[in-house]
Amino acid sequence: MAHLGVLFLDELPEFNSNTLESLREPLENNLIKINRMYSSVSYPCNFMLIASMNPCPCGYYGSNRKECRCKPYQIRNYINRVSGPLLDRIDIHIEVNEVKYDDLNSKQKPETSETIRQRVNQARELQLWRYKKYNIFSNSELDAKMIEKFCKLDTNSQKLLKEAFEKLDLSARAYTRILKVARTIADLEFTENINEGHILEAIHYRSLDRKYRYNKT
Amino acid sequence: MLAITKSIALQGLEGYLISIEVDVSLGMPYFEIVGLPDITVKESKERVKTAIRNSNIELLSRRIIVNLAPANIRKEGSVLDLPIAISVLMATGSIKANLNKKIHNILENTVFIGELSLNGKVEKVKGVLPMCLEAKKLGITRIILPAENAEEAAVVDGIDILIAHNLKEVIEYLDGKIELQSPSKKSHQFDSNAYDIGFEDVKGQEDVKRALEIAAAGRP
Repeated sequence: MAHLGVLFLDELPEFNSNTLESLREPLENNLIKINRMYSSVSYPCNFMLIASMNPCPCGYYGSNRKECRCKPYQIRNYINRVSGPLLDRIDIHIEVNEVKYDDLNSKQKPETSETIRQRVNQARELQLWRYKKYNIFSNSELDAKMIEKFCKLDTNSQKLLKEAFEKLDLSARAYTRILKVARTIADLEFTENINEGHILEAIHYRSLDRKYRYNKT
Repeated sequence: MLAITKSIALQGLEGYLISIEVDVSLGMPYFEIVGLPDITVKESKERVKTAIRNSNIELLSRRIIVNLAPANIRKEGSVLDLPIAISVLMATGSIKANLNKKIHNILENTVFIGELSLNGKVEKVKGVLPMCLEAKKLGITRIILPAENAEEAAVVDGIDILIAHNLKEVIEYLDGKIELQSPSKKSHQFDSNAYDIGFEDVKGQEDVKRALEIAAAGRP
């Protein structure tokens, strides 16, 4: 039902692991296949997955303000309810901290949806124009060959990505996804080539799973 | 006598051309649907019989066999009511389509879609859009379908959409007495400012908003 829309899963680890794993195929192929006794039916299923979860059972792990009361194994078990392969397929991970008092109190008006929409639409039009000949609409649909063509990096960015790849122990899938996200960030700024800043931001969005899984716990 | 009409059945979102073949012969009164119908399609025989009677047409007491070809694909839903009714009426001779060369040619390239209610009204069905797309791919030039589905079908270009309100209308159309209406094309537009809350109401959390922005920009 979420075809060409957004599927939002709140409290991701509370979902049955079978349910979560069955998301892998549609996330990869944009198709969902249902096999029954007499026939197999495929439905198109091109959707954006957004999910949210707590960092640990008590919810304060990694917080700046309150101490976490969970034992390390509890945290690990909680995080591991979402499997690595699934996290690997999520392009953008982000840690959300508590809102600061100053932010709540500030008189400064945040950006309106309208201005953000304009930026997003501009970036999407740019993509439409760039991929006109290739029968795709957006960066997310780039395949390996097209990534080589459209996501060219300068030497500095390349060095950066190499370092991140080795240090963070990223997968090949993560590598292509970082490039696609960096491409999108560059598009949002209306720049033709991906620069260091774009790559850094894209890598930043990948680091979450590794951090929780191996280094800290 | 044998009569054939065409319709489209869906499996998932893929359409299949279905030929509805009806044979009427002398014998004990009998009405059977074969060709892997599911329960909805099986029940369609009661709807078809009653709808025909309530359209003031006498259905002869004959041996009527309906075959849905290709027989190895499972047929689902109530889409086939209308084409079955038309086939039956042609086979029993209530519609003289087989005698009329022009209408015979029309039937070659026409697909019928619609559920019948007991009073002969053509009711709306689900999945008309993929059916129309498939029909276009197969070179069908004309689709006769329920009024409620017409707007949805009108999105597909290059194919004639004709609206059927009731069975009687379709019969008269095939007899050459009346013309069926086509739906008017409407352009769809979304109201982009339909929400009264937005990102301006979220305080702080700038990095989350940024991530959402990037996600929105990189997807179709």
